[in-house]
Amino acid sequence: MVLAALLHANGEWSHGYELARLADVKSGTLYPLLIRLEAQGYLEAEWQQPSEGGRPPRHAYRLTASGMQLARDNLPVDSGTPAMRIRKAAA
Amino acid sequence: MNRSLRRGIADLACRVLQAALPPSLQSWGQAIRCETADIPDDTEALRYALESFCGLMPRALAWHLLRPFASLTGDGPPFHGDPIMMNLFHATLRRPRVTGVASAIGAVALGLVYMALAGAPMRYLGINASALLLGLALLALLGRSLPGGRRLTTAALVAMAGALLATALLGHSVDGAARWVRLGGFSIQPSLILLPAMLVAFARCRNALTTVGMVAAAMALAGQPDRAMAGMLAVGLAVLAIMRRDRFVVAALCASIAGFVATVVRADTLMAVPYVDGILYSSFEVHALAGAAVMGGSLLLLAPAIVGWHRDSPNRESHAVFGALWLAAIVAAALGNYPTPLVGYGSSAIIGFALSLLALPTLEGAHDTASTRACSEADTTPPDQHLLTGLA
Repeated sequence: MVLAALLHANGEWSHGYELARLADVKSGTLYPLLIRLEAQGYLEAEWQQPSEGGRPPRHAYRLTASGMQLARDNLPVDSGTPAMRIRKAAA
Repeated sequence: MNRSLRRGIADLACRVLQAALPPSLQSWGQAIRCETADIPDDTEALRYALESFCGLMPRALAWHLLRPFASLTGDGPPFHGDPIMMNLFHATLRRPRVTGVASAIGAVALGLVYMALAGAPMRYLGINASALLLGLALLALLGRSLPGGRRLTTAALVAMAGALLATALLGHSVDGAARWVRLGGFSIQPSLILLPAMLVAFARCRNALTTVGMVAAAMALAGQPDRAMAGMLAVGLAVLAIMRRDRFVVAALCASIAGFVATVVRADTLMAVPYVDGILYSSFEVHALAGAAVMGGSLLLLAPAIVGWHRDSPNRESHAVFGALWLAAIVAAALGNYPTPLVGYGSSAIIGFALSLLALPTLEGAHDTASTRACSEADTTPPDQHLLTGLA
């Protein structure tokens, strides 16, 4: 689901809380996965400065080309459900 | 819980996690902290922080515990996608004994931190470290595969009970309590060394004679008298009775409860010994770090049971008894003047913890239904035999 959520972002940067909600996973599950994906070259991460003052910078993530391929190759079997969930959560 | 408190706890959890993470992952700790701070809802932010903490802290602790071993296997940045570290981590979790060894090393190390901060004599630190080496050496020696049988196991368990009875009758006595044996100028406490192994072994191997051994152990602990050990026996058997009740367990449990009541009725006037008793609370008066070391080391004793419970369902009785008996020892140390296992000064608990690991399965699920039957050739697994043979 995390890969599906990142793939759904279509190359745009995503944040941790947003990903956890979209993928419906706990942050304790999400971050070890993100760490592993980044270490394996499937994910890139960058720090983004806040758009408004007084807010902290945020860590943002998106799939690399190989990550995109990995996500496409590992889409959930029930492809309708995650997509619907992602659209619902994003709405 | 008010708003600022929730924010404060969330931020504290993030900071602790960030500090605990290995250097290569510190930026991820920072990322979680910033992400948490950006969540508008306080409750949601607290939940996010605590879930992140629970998800990553075990890996951070494993990284710290396994770092010395990883350096032996090669170079490269540890943990951050390092297959060596990940493999070590997962291999450790699959082997209850290895988890226990890591816990023992971590607990003793944290105990040394406490004693150093508390100003304990260097000799104490050396004795605890030596006890760890001795315990691990016994673990390695007795854990090797040797042929054995049910009779030998039974005889060994009864012999250990005899040793406890002999201690009660002939042991070194202090203020009416006969719990110790003098060996080469050192006092050791046989009950702390033998009882944990006996309990975990009994969880996996029960028959009439081993039950007699447990009853005899209950009598011995009542006679010593030792509330902590009698309580440990009763709690361990109670957990076993809840999970797998049979006539052997019930008989041993009744005897252990009677023994525990006997110890409660008798006055225990022993004074607290520095660096041994009453340190769960007093360590915080020494230094916050000393207190954290004692608490952390104590919690580590439960790690093999927690990991085994979650990952090795066929052998849950053994893991539950293991966890219950060491939890009982910690609680006893918190409530009375009893040795604080592994983190306090004293070699008996360290050796006892190492030996009790021998009675755990070697590999998760490896001995499928071993613990669900009464003692037979099939469930008298080699590790138990070696343990009991070696201790007899």
